[in-house]
Amino acid sequence: MFSRRDFLKQGLLPVFAGSAVPSVFANGLAASAADSPNTAPSNRVLVLVQLAGGNDGLNTVIPFQDATYHDARPTLRQDQGVLTLNNQLGLHPNLKALKAQWDAGQLAVVQGVGYPSPNLSHFASMSVWETANVKGGFGDGWLGRYLNYLDQVGESPNHTLEGVSAGSLVPPEMRSKTPVTALQSLRNFRLQKVNEHGTMVDVENPLMQFYGGFSKAGPAPYAAILDTTLQEALAASHGLQATDASYVAKATYPANSPIANSLKLVAETIVSGLGVRVAHVTLGGFDNHAREKPVHDKLLLDLDQALGAFMADMQGHGLADRILVMTWSEFGRRVNENGSAGTDHGTAAPMFLLGAPVKGGLYGEAPSLQSLDNGNLKFTTDFRSVYASVLQGYLNAPASDLLGGTFETLPLLKS
Amino acid sequence: MSRRTVLATAAGGAGAAALAALWRGGSLAQVLNRVQGLTHTYEGVFSSERTRVAHLLRRAGFGASPQELDRLTGMGTAAATNALLNYQQTSNQQLEASLPGFDPTVTSNGGRQASALQAWWLTRMVGTARPLEEKMTLFWHGLLTSGLDKSGPGQLYQQNQLFRRTAMGNFDDLLKAVSKDPAMMVYLDTETNRNGKPNENYARELMELFTTGIGHYSEDDVRESARAFTGWTLGRGKQRDALTSTFVARYHDEGVKTFMGKTGTFTGDDIVDMLVPLRATAERLTTRLFSYFAYPNPEPEIVQHLADVFQKNGYNVGAVVKEILTMDAFYSPKAYRALVKSPTEYVAQTLRAVGATSVSAPAVAATGQMGQVLFYPPNVAGWPAGASWINSSTLLTRINFAAGVAQKAAPASTFKGLPGLIDTFIDGNVTPSTRDALTQAATGTGQIPVTLMYFVLATPEYQLN
Repeated sequence: MFSRRDFLKQGLLPVFAGSAVPSVFANGLAASAADSPNTAPSNRVLVLVQLAGGNDGLNTVIPFQDATYHDARPTLRQDQGVLTLNNQLGLHPNLKALKAQWDAGQLAVVQGVGYPSPNLSHFASMSVWETANVKGGFGDGWLGRYLNYLDQVGESPNHTLEGVSAGSLVPPEMRSKTPVTALQSLRNFRLQKVNEHGTMVDVENPLMQFYGGFSKAGPAPYAAILDTTLQEALAASHGLQATDASYVAKATYPANSPIANSLKLVAETIVSGLGVRVAHVTLGGFDNHAREKPVHDKLLLDLDQALGAFMADMQGHGLADRILVMTWSEFGRRVNENGSAGTDHGTAAPMFLLGAPVKGGLYGEAPSLQSLDNGNLKFTTDFRSVYASVLQGYLNAPASDLLGGTFETLPLLKS
Repeated sequence: MSRRTVLATAAGGAGAAALAALWRGGSLAQVLNRVQGLTHTYEGVFSSERTRVAHLLRRAGFGASPQELDRLTGMGTAAATNALLNYQQTSNQQLEASLPGFDPTVTSNGGRQASALQAWWLTRMVGTARPLEEKMTLFWHGLLTSGLDKSGPGQLYQQNQLFRRTAMGNFDDLLKAVSKDPAMMVYLDTETNRNGKPNENYARELMELFTTGIGHYSEDDVRESARAFTGWTLGRGKQRDALTSTFVARYHDEGVKTFMGKTGTFTGDDIVDMLVPLRATAERLTTRLFSYFAYPNPEPEIVQHLADVFQKNGYNVGAVVKEILTMDAFYSPKAYRALVKSPTEYVAQTLRAVGATSVSAPAVAATGQMGQVLFYPPNVAGWPAGASWINSSTLLTRINFAAGVAQKAAPASTFKGLPGLIDTFIDGNVTPSTRDALTQAATGTGQIPVTLMYFVLATPEYQLN
């Protein structure tokens, strides 16, 4: 029986009988040796950081001079040690690495980001952001449409790792026809051989036959999904196994931090040259209806330290020029804190974009704390404007086509 | 030729390829509609009593060992269904006596307590003599969610016992109990919801996720009902450790509230009493139950019928479950292998089938790597089901888990060779090409019991339920 190594040497998997198939695999590996310049759009990576649960924007980018803010937040206000961006606004004291990015001109803060007729349901609002459709629903994710676009124009590295997500589920913003890989660890992402009383049995070919045969036998529920997923899994694991030994972190990631582990995994995948275009990580726990302060302080600390390490790691590997990080959350919180020393669901909130490609500074308009809609901020920048700016200005993709409408772009990025 | 085209072509028949493309296109509703129509492979499959009983045990429980399947097949489908439904009459003494102890009052070492709790529940699923009781407990855990990210292990143990106790009871009773359950009070913040300082978290999710669903209430209804739920606080102990709750009159907002067009000095129980009778609640809950046991996206007539059953039986959940397990649709070709095994089902069914009496830490961890950490739902909406269980990472984890089980269980296996394995795990119903390949392997040189068991557990058929 062929070993995996033999397949690699030949550059093809015998189970893929079609003549065009080997290129799927070959292109994935070739992407690491791409000779285009580092900053070419085809090499750029967007890293999306989801702050799940609804991040308290007012306690992240803080209007520390605003009397209304002080009154609205009798126990939650952050007025000590704010890291000032100007004489009105400051970052939460725990966002030291972000402040360093700001000082280096590599942090854009977009203020008051939201959308018309905001939905206060976590899930409805998440799907709005994920699909870039204010009606929400189960359509393609906006990044899924971007990956499809790459496929259509032949710019795709044609590899299952062009879209990666840290965790066990594929996030809805990457949902599309193009496969995306959920990664928990590079080491474990492989098909184990079976130990038959001391003899290691290579089981890949039979499994391909089982799944292919099941799918071909008739259109049974899930048969095609299982078959394509197995093929994607094996292709991705081959790619990973061929490269994963080379990565050494060039920064110290904080220990016991799930978001740091996730970003390190993304770093490893990027550094390994597997053709990653879009990566997604999630930090959960922002739904702070009660006793918000200690929880939110810790979340921002974890976020900041993990991002600081990730940016330093990318810098250390000489990749900083082609990494853009963007944070998002399904909504901000109510302006007035509630009686539980927490905040209920709100609307508009700031977004961060950071990295060398960013033109640092404040963008958009800070929402008024006096002119509210049912106790919630009125948004000033449509989130699709931010998406459009990134798609057009960084990823070199047709934003209007991918977002289903034309949105004003912001000059967030060095072209 | 793009990779996508290649995949679609490799996926075989035109129908399958179209479905794959649809699925990748992310239109869930469309896929569900298509999945619903895909039946021809399984015509006639339920003519065998053994297949009916095996299907019943997978859906209303966590599968069966060969001996258990023999015994229940001998009883016949109707008697086996009654035995599952009337589980109160079945002693679970053997399981209770053999379970690792769990003491909910232990508050130190939360990490070890959490692992112990997960192992405790998975062991119950593997060893219970009352499979439907555990299956319904898992149903409630996925709907009325609370999680270790906020609630303590002792609180979640207690909530789990509440779900087990009231698994097949009246929905209004269950919701009233859950509203005052410490794990829920911490998870959705009712423990801090006070007169004059309402906290909306529980009130919103009660409507959006637990009862009517979105579109049947206003933001004002959220704010007003939050006031009604004020007054309940945790008893002794730290927030994550308290195992009791009490009503403190001075914390309750006694004022007049306007909720869904009605006005009164409502309490939380009053709100539950107004939400449970709504048709939207009946339709949503019965749709979810049917999708859990039979197949996703049930036909409108089925939903209306089940909603009627629910409402005519005083919101009794057991009556709905009984109806589902005995309706023709439950044994229609469309129901066969129409669900993806959840990670918990995949692990528990496998261990139950091989006669495991305890659950190892790696088995507990494996459910997490497959996408389901018990007592730790991804968010308050619980776990998404169906196709979302399958991605390249989780499928590899499932298949690798099969290797671990086969290496351990196969040498002592009581399965009678390849036919016994296929019969136990996949109803003797396997794609001819797979059967041929397996038969060829089994009759080749030398004995390969580990590999054969592995192959059967790794088949696409076994990923489905």
